[in-house]
Amino acid sequence: MADFTWTATSPLQHATRPRRHGAAVQQSGIVLSEVLDFSLVLILARRGQWSATAKAAKEFFGAEAPAKPLAVRGKTTTLFWSGADQFYALFPRVPAAQPLDGMREPFAAKASLSDQSDGRCLIQISGPKVRAMLAKLSSLDLDGSVFPVGAAAATSIDHSGVNLWRDTDAADGSPVYNVLVFTSFADSIWHTILDSSAEYGVEVVRPHALDEKPSS
Amino acid sequence: MRIACPFCGERENGEFTYLGDAKPQRPAMVALEVAGGAAGEAEAFYDYVYLRDNVAGEMDEYWYHGGGCRSWLRLTRNTATHEITSVEAAPGTGASSSPASTAGTIS
Amino acid sequence: MTGSLSLTSAEARFAAGAKAPVAPSGSTQSNRLDTGGLIDRAAPLNFTFDGKAMTGFAGDTLASALVANGVRLVGRSFKYHRPRGILTAGSEEPNALVELRSGARREPNTKATTAELYQGLEALSQNRWPSLRYDVMSVNQLLSPIFVAGFYYKTFMWPAKFWEMIYEPAIRRAAGLGRSSGLADPDHYDKAWAHCDVLVVGSGPTGVSAALAAGRAGARVILAEEDSRAGGRLLSDGGEIGGMSSREWLANALAELSSLSNVRVMTRTAVFGVYDGGTYGALERVNDHVATPPEHEVRQRLWRIVAKRCVVAAGAIERPIVFSGNDRPGVMMASAVRTYIERFAALPGKRVALFTNNSDGWRTVEAALRAGVEISAVIDSRPGIPEELRAMAEVSGFRVFNGVVHDVRGGASGISRISVAQAKGTTVEIAADTLAMSGGWNPSVGLASHHRGRPTWRDDIAAFVPGECPPGMVVAGAANGDFSLGACLRAGHAAGIAAAAESGRTQKAGSPAAASDEALSITPLWHVEGKHKAFVDFQHDVTASDIALAQREGFESVEHLKRYTTLGMATDQGRNSNVTGLAIMAEVSGRTIPQTGTTIYRPPQVPVAIGALAGHHRDENFHSTRLTPSHRWAAERGATFVDTGLWKRAQWYPLPGEKDWLTSVDREVLTVRNGVGFCDVSTLGKIDVMGPDAGAFLDRVYINAFSSLGVGKARYGLMLREDGIVMDDGTTSRLAEDHYFLTTTTAKAGPVMQYLEYCRQVLWPELDVQLTSCTDQWAQFSIAGPKTRDLLREIVEPSEDLSNEGFPFMAVREVKLRGGVVARLFRISFSGEMAFEISVPARFGDALARNLMIAGKQFGVIPYGTEALGVMRIEKGHVAGPELNGTTTAGDLGLGKMASKKKDFVGRVLAAREGLVDPNRQVVVGLKPVDKARRLRSGAHTIPKGARPSPETDQGYVTSVCHSPMLGQWIGLGLVERGRERYGEIVRAHDPLRGEDYDVEICNPVFYDPEGGRQRG
Repeated sequence: MADFTWTATSPLQHATRPRRHGAAVQQSGIVLSEVLDFSLVLILARRGQWSATAKAAKEFFGAEAPAKPLAVRGKTTTLFWSGADQFYALFPRVPAAQPLDGMREPFAAKASLSDQSDGRCLIQISGPKVRAMLAKLSSLDLDGSVFPVGAAAATSIDHSGVNLWRDTDAADGSPVYNVLVFTSFADSIWHTILDSSAEYGVEVVRPHALDEKPSS
Repeated sequence: MRIACPFCGERENGEFTYLGDAKPQRPAMVALEVAGGAAGEAEAFYDYVYLRDNVAGEMDEYWYHGGGCRSWLRLTRNTATHEITSVEAAPGTGASSSPASTAGTIS
Repeated sequence: MTGSLSLTSAEARFAAGAKAPVAPSGSTQSNRLDTGGLIDRAAPLNFTFDGKAMTGFAGDTLASALVANGVRLVGRSFKYHRPRGILTAGSEEPNALVELRSGARREPNTKATTAELYQGLEALSQNRWPSLRYDVMSVNQLLSPIFVAGFYYKTFMWPAKFWEMIYEPAIRRAAGLGRSSGLADPDHYDKAWAHCDVLVVGSGPTGVSAALAAGRAGARVILAEEDSRAGGRLLSDGGEIGGMSSREWLANALAELSSLSNVRVMTRTAVFGVYDGGTYGALERVNDHVATPPEHEVRQRLWRIVAKRCVVAAGAIERPIVFSGNDRPGVMMASAVRTYIERFAALPGKRVALFTNNSDGWRTVEAALRAGVEISAVIDSRPGIPEELRAMAEVSGFRVFNGVVHDVRGGASGISRISVAQAKGTTVEIAADTLAMSGGWNPSVGLASHHRGRPTWRDDIAAFVPGECPPGMVVAGAANGDFSLGACLRAGHAAGIAAAAESGRTQKAGSPAAASDEALSITPLWHVEGKHKAFVDFQHDVTASDIALAQREGFESVEHLKRYTTLGMATDQGRNSNVTGLAIMAEVSGRTIPQTGTTIYRPPQVPVAIGALAGHHRDENFHSTRLTPSHRWAAERGATFVDTGLWKRAQWYPLPGEKDWLTSVDREVLTVRNGVGFCDVSTLGKIDVMGPDAGAFLDRVYINAFSSLGVGKARYGLMLREDGIVMDDGTTSRLAEDHYFLTTTTAKAGPVMQYLEYCRQVLWPELDVQLTSCTDQWAQFSIAGPKTRDLLREIVEPSEDLSNEGFPFMAVREVKLRGGVVARLFRISFSGEMAFEISVPARFGDALARNLMIAGKQFGVIPYGTEALGVMRIEKGHVAGPELNGTTTAGDLGLGKMASKKKDFVGRVLAAREGLVDPNRQVVVGLKPVDKARRLRSGAHTIPKGARPSPETDQGYVTSVCHSPMLGQWIGLGLVERGRERYGEIVRAHDPLRGEDYDVEICNPVFYDPEGGRQRG
């Protein structure tokens, strides 16, 4: 018997083909892409174990565990806050490895771990009009003075929970926001983003890995 | 209305779900082998589940930040003006290991 | 940044005092001035009114263009179909309502005074037939005795059925305003959030001054202006500020605001409501000023503005005086006359008279004189008319009367004569085509009163000013009763600085600009007795005598007055009429105005289209949707989808040639029962319950025990609410000592997660347990049928033992699939067949569906949908949503024995209440029609044979039905009193809704394989 082929699919893979949407403008107001091939683990500190969890995270990921709404970058891993004494670890997927491999031991008795690598899709949004567009989706104040690079939030878009954090600015100086959405909502939210972006002109660039910059 | 989540900061009320009066305390869990149920438990639960004050003024309430950090919050809110004078995290949010002061344990 | 802040070329010419070109030849604008106004004569626009071609200029409103074209009659009134003209020049307009645009974009009741003119605009007058000039329904005026206050209540009381059949249709035809298009709105709308330190509402002198001060202080400022152009009364009232013309000052101030990156000026944006916590609702009319919005742009946008502080500088609204014929075309607010002349260079008439009770009205005389208009007379009701005004009259050659206007004459196209009753007792007739009236000014107290703050009365200005404001709000300038230009500038500046400081912004803000401090002089005059109808609320045709009648009939309270007469309930929400109405009520009831009081102010302050409130959320975007990982695959196979909450689920998979759903579903069930099929169950809620106390935690929330469940085992669990009623059910597995995988029903996934967090965080903080949803992490399929194991052996690694011994019923473990993917395999069954559930990480969900088809091809595998799933669970008597319906106990569902007696759990105590353990309760049973060909229907009630159907004889109802291909007939589950004792009894299924009544047999709910051998085999 021949083995089966296991092709990984994203709910966005048909939506994220590079193309331009909306208003025909010289420079697209919105640049949109999907980030692929990541592992995502939710780390929930056990009772009384926040300090121990933070210490283990520092040792394992080389990054400070966020105790408040921040996204902290380590060498390959971004840790971002998602709630009281809990945060996500986001890192590039290692083929054939389970994301929790190697993590169980260092976090044993300190934190509970939940693999969410497939439970979320990651959408990256940038462009000169990104704040005007996100004002239609998010009730947060994303002004630079309030939500600087490295700020994170657990919030809602279209009544669906999302994690939102601000990355380093794009080459053109536009802010870059990462929006982590539930996999089942991804298609719906993507289209809401497209609709909200249309008046500014949207450029969908090809899906890319965590450590890659989006490019068309 | 906006609620200042102690973890997330001020957020619009669409991110929150209202539960209601935070005053009634759930009677403690009991060990059935020993007691077969606690004395007067039916009355205690009746009070806990059904009896509510209809407050026009300041009231302690539970709200759930389900559209955000998923913490349960205890608010003091004026039901007549919607003014919120205090927001605290529930005792067991995050990794806090608060002793079972109010809820009791199986002993 | 929205809106243009720089002077247009026309304005520049105006500011420089240059002569502008005359209107182009062929112009219809008989009443347009050759110079002046904030219009662009280089940009003429064509439009039609009632089909008649006219021209105007960019910068015009429809109303100003109509004025320029000499149009005076623009509509018919609501009740009496009286001819009406344009009363105001702003959003408070009650009369000049038109149908704008055509086809699907036709919009009724649009105020001509706020509709910006655009090329090709089409407007129709409303409420007239066959034409505006000859309106048949104006006969209503003759019937006016029956249209008095409360006529709805009095005239059409009896007999009741006459109301629906005769009165209402007749009234609706005769009254009412414009017609909606009846078609779907082709335009788009959206909603957005904005955040600032200081929101300034209104961009008149006060608002601009406040925004400048707050902006200079470093605050993030939003200046919202409902008009297309910032400036407020500065655009119409002339005057000097800081030694320059007020328009020049305005241009400089707006230029400075636009240079401040922390200030955002939003024109065409009306703040309509004040909500809790410093949240304000605003409507931006993004593309109302063009024929159709550019592609990809919205027509209107609803803003939710979150502001630490708010300065309301919304100005004031001039109020009419109530006298006979005050609604006739040609009678216009004095300030509006000024606006049409100064801002739009359009003359409302050639011979203007003024009727005023205050000093401000005289500014209209000045403006008219500047424009070269003849003033026929000024009627000032104040006892002492200042000498300098009399001197001005003398110089300019018009007469001044101390007295009142008590009647006007004229036809539908406008007034021609005015009757003046002088204070000294004689009556004078004056020829005039326009009567400007000013009854004083009402500060705009609406927004300030949205949190129930009661306005307070000020005798010196004879008006209400805001009382206690919502937290974070101050009101400044005319909106607060300060009517002089100098006072407005100072108040705005001070409010701006204070609001910025309260938001922590304290940079230097300079000092306020200086201007005249001339105060308003007013002697109240509300109502002049006369012979004819004198209108208070123009839009709802409420007259002074209606108010007197309401008072006589006991409707003295302002809230009663409002509802009885409909005063202030029209689209202008009484902004012209409320204060005057209650002043008249005070007069006739012998109380003071403050004693009479005001009605409650509520949002929205201006009409907001439902489309704007809905925003993006319409049609297919009405709510977000959730798709399972194999959705695309199912769609490719032609699955029919059903909405289950937000989810789209495959309901059945029709094959070519299948003529109806029942054929497809029967085939799916038979294929599973005889072979193998699989069903997407990814929508079930999934929760990781982790931590050392996970087992103890589950023991408390489930009625049965879970701490005793072995690792690698699954168990069906039932949760109760605290009141003893069933909350939810599902299968929960123990994956590790400190890790349970809990499933919920699709519908209750969210509520159960919220509840479990409540238990963890609020009820039992002492338990060391962590929770997170993992619903979206897994693609899960139920594989069922006698050939399930054969199929699985194809797809899992051969080393995995799937035998009954190696993988017994209710076992759970990870297995490797051929090709390298690791799956979780659960031996659980909902269908009653030999079954497994298999889950893989969501990214492999699509591949798993395709691979199951390949692996099962030789066994005839099919996908089946939720309908077949439902049929099989009914055949097995498994309860689901229709039985877990918020009224049933574990005992009702036949699951009472699951409750542990060794541990406590939520719901235990109240589930033991007398009523919940009553042996007469309705319990789950099977039901099947005696006539096997008969279709059973959900919702039918069970009645004993021979009993007359009534609430007393009603013993239960049918909850779930299906056509069972195994039994070859319709079967169902139901809740029936003492049902378990009554197997074999025949009762009636009574269905008055569908007009059906037939015999059914009560039976064991497990119709199929009652021994359960198939699922354990």
